[in-house]
Amino acid sequence: MSIRALEPRVLYAILLPILLLVFLLALNVGPVEIDLGKSMRDWFNELTTIESLILFDIRLPRSLLAMFIGATLGLAGAALQGLLRNPLAEPGIIGVSNGAALGAVIVFYYGMAGFAWFLLPLGGLIGALIAVSIILLLVGQSRSIVTLILAGIAINSVGGALIALALNFAQSPYAMQEIVFWLLGSVANRSVNELFIALPFMLVGWGMILYCGRFLNALTLGEETAKSMGFDVSRLRLVLVLGVTASVGAAVSVAGNIGFVGLVVPHLMRPFVAYEPRRLLLASAVTGAILLLVADIAVQLLSSNGEIKLGVITSLVGAPFFLFLILKSRNVLQ
Amino acid sequence: MLYCSGAIGKIVRVKINDGPMKRFCLFFTVLLLFSTPLFATDKPRRIVSIGLCTDQLLLLLADREQIASVSVWALDENMSYMIDAVGDLPLNNSSVEEIIKYQPDLVVASAYAAWDTAKFLRQLGYQVKQIPLARSITDIYSLLRQFGEWTGNQQHAESVVKQMQTELAEIQQRYAGSPQKTVIVYSPNGFTIGANTLEHDMFTHAGYINLAATMGIEGFKPIALETLIAADPDVLQIDRNLSRPDSLATAYVGHPALDKLIEHREYLDIPTRLRICAGPMITEAIENMAQRR
Repeated sequence: MSIRALEPRVLYAILLPILLLVFLLALNVGPVEIDLGKSMRDWFNELTTIESLILFDIRLPRSLLAMFIGATLGLAGAALQGLLRNPLAEPGIIGVSNGAALGAVIVFYYGMAGFAWFLLPLGGLIGALIAVSIILLLVGQSRSIVTLILAGIAINSVGGALIALALNFAQSPYAMQEIVFWLLGSVANRSVNELFIALPFMLVGWGMILYCGRFLNALTLGEETAKSMGFDVSRLRLVLVLGVTASVGAAVSVAGNIGFVGLVVPHLMRPFVAYEPRRLLLASAVTGAILLLVADIAVQLLSSNGEIKLGVITSLVGAPFFLFLILKSRNVLQ
Repeated sequence: MLYCSGAIGKIVRVKINDGPMKRFCLFFTVLLLFSTPLFATDKPRRIVSIGLCTDQLLLLLADREQIASVSVWALDENMSYMIDAVGDLPLNNSSVEEIIKYQPDLVVASAYAAWDTAKFLRQLGYQVKQIPLARSITDIYSLLRQFGEWTGNQQHAESVVKQMQTELAEIQQRYAGSPQKTVIVYSPNGFTIGANTLEHDMFTHAGYINLAATMGIEGFKPIALETLIAADPDVLQIDRNLSRPDSLATAYVGHPALDKLIEHREYLDIPTRLRICAGPMITEAIENMAQRR
């Protein structure tokens, strides 16, 4: 099976209308039937009606959040796969998301989130940074898939256990039940508050990752070659890692750990961008946004109360794909 | 009884001499043994409560000497109506070890709280009584009477019931002229309260129409915020007095859309301690609600 690479213009002429369509569909889906036209009119006339409240205070923030988080995960997956030159690198699998969730849990449940808006995503960033540093230390120069996966399993387990521990000691009587949110992720009942908290960190992170596009291209030829081409490898690697941790940290701190988006999306898009890491970044961001919006629509159609977590849907799709990738790379493993 | 047992001993020792007397004495002893409950007006002397609602019933109905320990919840500012009555009573965390320490002759618990402790205590041979969940004000009356029976305070329980009935009738009369209003409850994790619940019955007594019940919701169920907003209630009752650190559950009641809705609606905040348990304090909650109509 071979897929022809598409011209960027053609690619985005296909992806962006799909994104718009899915976004409008997401605004239309919910437990209550509303007339979107009336919602808009009421909102422009500055009337607080049932329709305007539901569209602008409930559905819009939720859909925007799903879109931005999907973009973040797609982008981070593409960046990590390029940086580690490993097809299985993904924030969820290598433990970065759980690290971020741990950081966010500590800030959130121990009453620190109230002091300043940026503390929650900052907690996520620090947790993600610690996890990614451990991964880089463990994996080092090795490109072995097995090493990365095993290190990821270890970090994921420790992260999950520490999240449970932190929630166990939290004061709130609800804390323990909420472990599901942090491990599986959700954008249900999220509001503009969470959107505004996470967005600045995500935007900065995206900028840093996109800035490293050419460096990722050079990196496919090896670090030495990248160095000889004039790239400041250690500085750019740091920029990339900070970009990933800032955006993933912010995303996870408001929506929990949504798995497998970062794994599936870059693999899906790679053939369309002629296997070029730089071009893969933006394409993965847009596709990740589409995918997460679709997943959130599925969540809402399957359960009106948001009892199914977003991560359940993405894992149901992503985990078999993960298995498929492992089977495909069995030769490399042996 | 002691005398008769002694007599039996003597008779056995003297052996058979007078058969009819021995038989009579044996019969009498057996009769006494089996009928002790009939004769005993003894109330339980060391009662332990292992949950908030039974704490309050115990503090309300039992004599102070009867109470060995109540749970730590009895002192919770948000939840407990009877804080002042606790005094220097020992507190427990409803763990089996703590409770055995008191060698209780009666342990009281709610049917749904600390059920594992209750089960374990029963296996160890302790007398455990569990109060059922009250789904209406009538349930509270029978619950109070039952609790009075268990603890040997029937008359006290009966007088509490009578007083509740009088107070409720007075409230209903006092606010008969106010218009009915629609109401909906929203609590942490997005839960609302539908039909077949004590809260629903309280709303009805206070002159409100519970929209969750109108929608067909029974018991405690989560409701989508959109559905709540679309129901367009006159009054919202929201649990916001949770003075605890952040959680995602409490973020539900802090949603900005809810703030905007409240700006245009009335907002009812009945203290948790007045409505969380079955007991006479619910008349105060009903009065609070009726006043706001």
